[in-house]
Amino acid sequence: MDFFFIHLLNALLSAATLFLIAGGLSLIYGVMRIVNLAHGNIYAFGAYVTAWALGRLVAGTPTPVLYLALPAGAVGAALLGAVLEPTLLRPFYKRAEEYQLLVTFGLLMILGDVMHFVWGPYPLSASALWENSGSLSIAGNPYPNYNLVVIAIGGFAAAFLWAFVYKTRFGIVLRATSQNMRMASALGVNVNRIYVQAFTLGCFMAGLGGAIIVPAQSAVLDMGVDALVLSFIVVVIGGLGSLEGALVGALIVGVVREMGIAWFAEIELAVLYLMAAIVLLVRPAGLFGRAS
Amino acid sequence: MAGEVNRRDFLSTLGVSVGATLAASAGAVLPVGVAQAQDKPKGNIPDTPYKIGHMTFFTGPAAVLGEPMFKGQQLAAEEINAAGGLLGRRKIELLKADENAGTDANVKELRRLKLSEKIDFFCGITSSGNTPALGPVAEEVKVLTIFVDGCTDFLWDKAVPNPHYIFRITNMQSADGVTGALAAAMTWPKTKRIAHIHPDYSYGRNAFDHFTIVMKKMLPNAENVSEGWPKLGTTDFSSHITKAIASKPDLLATSVWGGDYVAFYKQALRYGMFDKMKVASMIAFGVAPHAIGKDHPEGIIAGVHSNYHFTYPGGDRWPYNKAFVEKYHKRFNEYPNFQAEGAYTATYMLKSAIEKANKLVGGWPEDDAIITMLEGLMMAGPAGYVYIRPDNHQGYKDAVTGFSKNVAEYPFPILDPARIITIPIRNITAPPGWPKGEPTSTYTWIDKTWPVAKA
Repeated sequence: MDFFFIHLLNALLSAATLFLIAGGLSLIYGVMRIVNLAHGNIYAFGAYVTAWALGRLVAGTPTPVLYLALPAGAVGAALLGAVLEPTLLRPFYKRAEEYQLLVTFGLLMILGDVMHFVWGPYPLSASALWENSGSLSIAGNPYPNYNLVVIAIGGFAAAFLWAFVYKTRFGIVLRATSQNMRMASALGVNVNRIYVQAFTLGCFMAGLGGAIIVPAQSAVLDMGVDALVLSFIVVVIGGLGSLEGALVGALIVGVVREMGIAWFAEIELAVLYLMAAIVLLVRPAGLFGRAS
Repeated sequence: MAGEVNRRDFLSTLGVSVGATLAASAGAVLPVGVAQAQDKPKGNIPDTPYKIGHMTFFTGPAAVLGEPMFKGQQLAAEEINAAGGLLGRRKIELLKADENAGTDANVKELRRLKLSEKIDFFCGITSSGNTPALGPVAEEVKVLTIFVDGCTDFLWDKAVPNPHYIFRITNMQSADGVTGALAAAMTWPKTKRIAHIHPDYSYGRNAFDHFTIVMKKMLPNAENVSEGWPKLGTTDFSSHITKAIASKPDLLATSVWGGDYVAFYKQALRYGMFDKMKVASMIAFGVAPHAIGKDHPEGIIAGVHSNYHFTYPGGDRWPYNKAFVEKYHKRFNEYPNFQAEGAYTATYMLKSAIEKANKLVGGWPEDDAIITMLEGLMMAGPAGYVYIRPDNHQGYKDAVTGFSKNVAEYPFPILDPARIITIPIRNITAPPGWPKGEPTSTYTWIDKTWPVAKA
């Protein structure tokens, strides 16, 4: 029982990053109807940029300054998104969906190679923040403080996104475009601009996910593909295109993964796929998805 | 053999020793390195390059362990080429291939290397997921091969039980779990509760099986209280660490390796894991030495895949190691790991076999002649003697492990020079002719022939 809270915090920790990745994926799909397969490596890009930025700072840099450098990856990923959408994705909106899948899948590969080229084959670590942040004691067991920071950022991001989408004028336009792109366009919404903004925001979230996890885990080349697979499980459970779905899906996956490791160590990944399969059978559009 | 013996007595029968020196040299064992005066080769030798296809991890978390392998072979090739090449004529040309492409792609690449690039020799391989797939293909396309690692027992037990073209240089994988367990049983005999964290693929399973069977014999009162099976290549171990701590073990056994291990120990530090239990790792210090930081805890059993750490044999005791480490450091400005040593020694074993075959038949020897010479070849490499058993084409050398320690001379932890543990390999691997067993021959051999130790 004394480990209940630690297990719970671990579950929230993976839910926090998963929400950031899957939330971005869902947002992009919800507005643009694009399944962005490159999303995994946009997350990895965020991780690499932050690891690189933290690595540029000299040893002994005070921890608050390190925290200021943390969002570098999110900003980098957002900039990348802002460039990619108009140049690579826009020409394919009028084509069949298969083209978009091919393009984003190609982009996933290319981004992986670009990161390999720029940052080399070895894992890029930036563990100073992780090491400096120390641990607190939960019922006599140390727990890394930095994990709490990640959980908090995940929580804030969820609250901020909710407010952004449901409480601002931009959010209204975004939702209107998502519900009916032609009608929104007829009413004078600049759909191109909404698209690039939504894509940028989605990439920002993925990049933020990578940025906050890298001090604890270091950036490795394959991290994007693994994250993509897990975030697909999240959106399958929660419903593609729904932010609430991404949040609930991420929490479910986080908790089930933790329970899987604790109790079904032999099949920790299979448990997640099994759950996704059950959701697909019972509610094919996911828990919060709109059946179309 | 059933019955009980005293554990300490049995450990000493096995020859498990701490801080031992190497046995004295016997007979005409060839050392690595280019001899000053070489015999003139017999017959006409072509001067076409000798093409070696080298496949290892050049990308991904595994690269910190695998890439030094290429450097080891590169160093040997450069030395041999500087002296004129193989048999004084054929320069070695190295072709790289990235093992990180995945098993299916690796199999295609091996075929391509042989059929299109016309390689003479195939070398490399880190993952034990890959040798069982590549071994049969190497036999099929008839390419002379020395696997450096990918050391699963399964390769010879099942995948290629009667090898002709393929050999392997680093110790059989079962030696890893056995060595780790013997070292732990000797060091911490009061262990009652053991937790495990291993990568979820053949290597991790193998380490778990052999660690467990040895503990059943050495510490019969100990039990496994927790298992964690993280995916290979993962960098998030929070949940596995929590689970291990929650099971309140005395000892954690782990075979997490490469970049995964670096992430693992850094996370485990913040969870206070090393304060709560002893840790025995099969392969913690198998990575390129500089990949581990000074923050790594001291006094854990930091395995080197039971093969080699560059600090042992130390000083002037074993000149082949001293010379190798100096040359490697001069060339790459880093220190070698067991993969670098394996590839370096493998290249010199190939060279010796070619020279011996040339002496017998003259001219450039056929592969079959080289194979006959490789079978039973013994060489003094940087790690000590390595011997290729003719029946299964497997390299054997005495197993090594030790305890992590920070010293002033190096910017990373090394194995405590005063407490190196060595075990004669014949005492911990199944002998020739032992029936193929499940999960491995060595497992059934230990299970059936080792006594159970009394406390």
